[in-house]
Amino acid sequence: MAKKLRIALAGNANVGKSAIFNQLTGLNQIVGNWPGKTVERAEGTLHFKGSTIRVIDLPGIYSLSTFSMEEIVSRDYIAVEKPDIIIDVVDASTLERNLYFTLQLLELEAPIVVDLNQVDFAAKKGIKIDAEKLAEALGVPVIPTVAITGSGINELLSTAIAVINKKGKLKPLKVKYGREIENRVQAIEKLVDIRFPQLCTVYPARWIAIKLLERDEDVIGKLKNYEGGKETLDYAEKLASELEKIHGESSPVIIASEKYGLATKIAKAVTIIETPPKISLEQKLDTLTTHKFLGYPILAAVLASMFALIFVGGNFISAGLDYVFGIFTTFVKNVLSSFLPEIAVDLINNGILSGIIAGITVALPYIVPFYILLALLEDSGYLPRAAFLMDNLMHKIGLHGKAFIPLILGYGCSVPACIGCRIMETERERFLAAFVAVLIPCAARTVVILGLVGRFVGLHAALALYAFDLILVFILGRIAFKVLPGEPVGLIMEMPSYKMPSMKNIAMKTWSRTKDFVYIAFPIIIAGSIIIEALSLSGLMHYAVEVASPLINGWLGLPAVAGIPLIFGVLRKELSLILLAELVPLESLKAVQMIVFSLITMIYIPCVATIAACKREFGWRKALAITVIDIALALFLGGIAYRLLSLPMTA
Amino acid sequence: MYGSKLLEGGTNTRFRHRRNLERQKTRSIEEIASLTSLCEGEKGVIVRAAGGFGLVRRLAEMGLTPGTEVKLLRKCSFRGPVEIEARGVALALGYGVASRVFVRPSKAEANG
Repeated sequence: MAKKLRIALAGNANVGKSAIFNQLTGLNQIVGNWPGKTVERAEGTLHFKGSTIRVIDLPGIYSLSTFSMEEIVSRDYIAVEKPDIIIDVVDASTLERNLYFTLQLLELEAPIVVDLNQVDFAAKKGIKIDAEKLAEALGVPVIPTVAITGSGINELLSTAIAVINKKGKLKPLKVKYGREIENRVQAIEKLVDIRFPQLCTVYPARWIAIKLLERDEDVIGKLKNYEGGKETLDYAEKLASELEKIHGESSPVIIASEKYGLATKIAKAVTIIETPPKISLEQKLDTLTTHKFLGYPILAAVLASMFALIFVGGNFISAGLDYVFGIFTTFVKNVLSSFLPEIAVDLINNGILSGIIAGITVALPYIVPFYILLALLEDSGYLPRAAFLMDNLMHKIGLHGKAFIPLILGYGCSVPACIGCRIMETERERFLAAFVAVLIPCAARTVVILGLVGRFVGLHAALALYAFDLILVFILGRIAFKVLPGEPVGLIMEMPSYKMPSMKNIAMKTWSRTKDFVYIAFPIIIAGSIIIEALSLSGLMHYAVEVASPLINGWLGLPAVAGIPLIFGVLRKELSLILLAELVPLESLKAVQMIVFSLITMIYIPCVATIAACKREFGWRKALAITVIDIALALFLGGIAYRLLSLPMTA
Repeated sequence: MYGSKLLEGGTNTRFRHRRNLERQKTRSIEEIASLTSLCEGEKGVIVRAAGGFGLVRRLAEMGLTPGTEVKLLRKCSFRGPVEIEARGVALALGYGVASRVFVRPSKAEANG
């Protein structure tokens, strides 16, 4: 009989859940060394000894309270959907903090198997965990693994399935509190158990009692709907304030303290510190890259060398490919002309073929090196360091250091940047971060800037555009910060250790991102090219150009046909350059026109994919607001730039 | 200020311990410092975190509960964030957050 089982992966941020997920399912969930990377639930299926198993990778969280959306989502998934087993992924090198989360899972009375992950890394730090002793203390199986190499994965899986099959035999640890808390928890528990039998089929009564004592908004909200809910809430509130008066702290802090106390006790009992950790290369690197003065020039150097590499490498590959495809197209054109009418040849050649070639020669040479470098940056653990260094500056635009991570991701693609803004804590900060992140020139916009301005005007002009963009981001961020109501939140972020990036992971990540790019971008590029070619062949282009002429030519100083690529650029930003190249020879453009065109592409409207991502994250109103502001700004600044830059050149 | 609770709560050991802690607090008030005033490498024990309900709770959930030993790893320049180690984990705290966490500096390390 084929059974359908569900396994959920849960645990703190950056403990290797995604790596375990990949090992279990053979899928390529993106893995990286920074907390908050998995923001969406990933699912995969695997077959094991006749069972079909669905594996769910939950986002990394530190607690099952209601601090963030992810916490509520995860806890509801665990309590309501009741997966057959939860693999609690625990980082062996930071056991104490991880156990705090494990204890919460136990409190939720979820069936768990503890995956003691990264035991190799812990051993490097001189930490050894006695897995058997830990299993004894927690009353659940503990399996040591190394997710990256896959060691221990099979045992983990078979243990998980064994636990599902004979659930009753486990004796999970009951988290007990000190008398003052325990008495109150039990008093509320009794009441809850009698009054809300329905709710208790979903959540354990004891858990509800603890949450009520902690004044958990979500649980309070649930209870309000029930008859007799108010009295219970009043009673819990009374007990909570009693507790607070005794301890002089707020009740969640008192309960967290006790839970941490237990986590510490268990961690101490099972940890063997083998060798006093000596200062490793990673630590030296850490000291250097977060140094209060040296850190900044290093950050600047890292980012600058990244772009220099992309520029030099991209230009080189692009030129080479251009040459090869130049010969190729002439050949194809000659062959096609021999048996097809001229109009069909034009459509195929200028539409389909030049679209594909432009995609390959213009976009890929810049995008692939960028993805490689971004993957290196992500996996090494440098991003949180950069966030640490930038905290101060980010506060000037009402955000904290963590927002620097989506900004960096924004240089890759605005869509993950937009979604990555979920690492920010409040709705307001998420929106603010997304608002500035979409203004960061993504890889597609880099193609336009480097492929047009960088190639024909010079690197200095391209860099000036980037610098201008950063200033713009800062100014707009500051304005948005002042306009949007609400209080800024401070930075609280875990700093993961530096790790040697695995080449396999870098290659996989680059490949999967490039593949996405090719699959999504190329059809649009080709379709766009065909439409443009059809428009120009049918003569419709002429009318469109005339209508847009006052704006494009009069205000922005661009050739009137440039309006068409700008409209198509909404689909894909690099499409604007590719189509422009098909309409006018790029060499014939003036330097000012190139700069203005790139400037507009850089700022106007996030592409459709980004608008869709914004809509999903913030709703239509805010997505439209971002879009309208960006278009207006781009056209305004484009006109100003045209006039200002024309001055020195005509004078 | 806890007088009424004394009658209500009876005399359990935990409470007595807390009361002693309170006494110590008032006796050595000048020894309590915010995290931002520690030197790099200096250790301290968290006494309390001041601030909104949400912040205090979040700090507690990250393991920064009263009584926890922390070590200041580094400070950023210009009132920037600080990096601390607590419970074997390195945490970055913004200046505003760190200035609201009060610790009692450990004597032995303070002179070093």
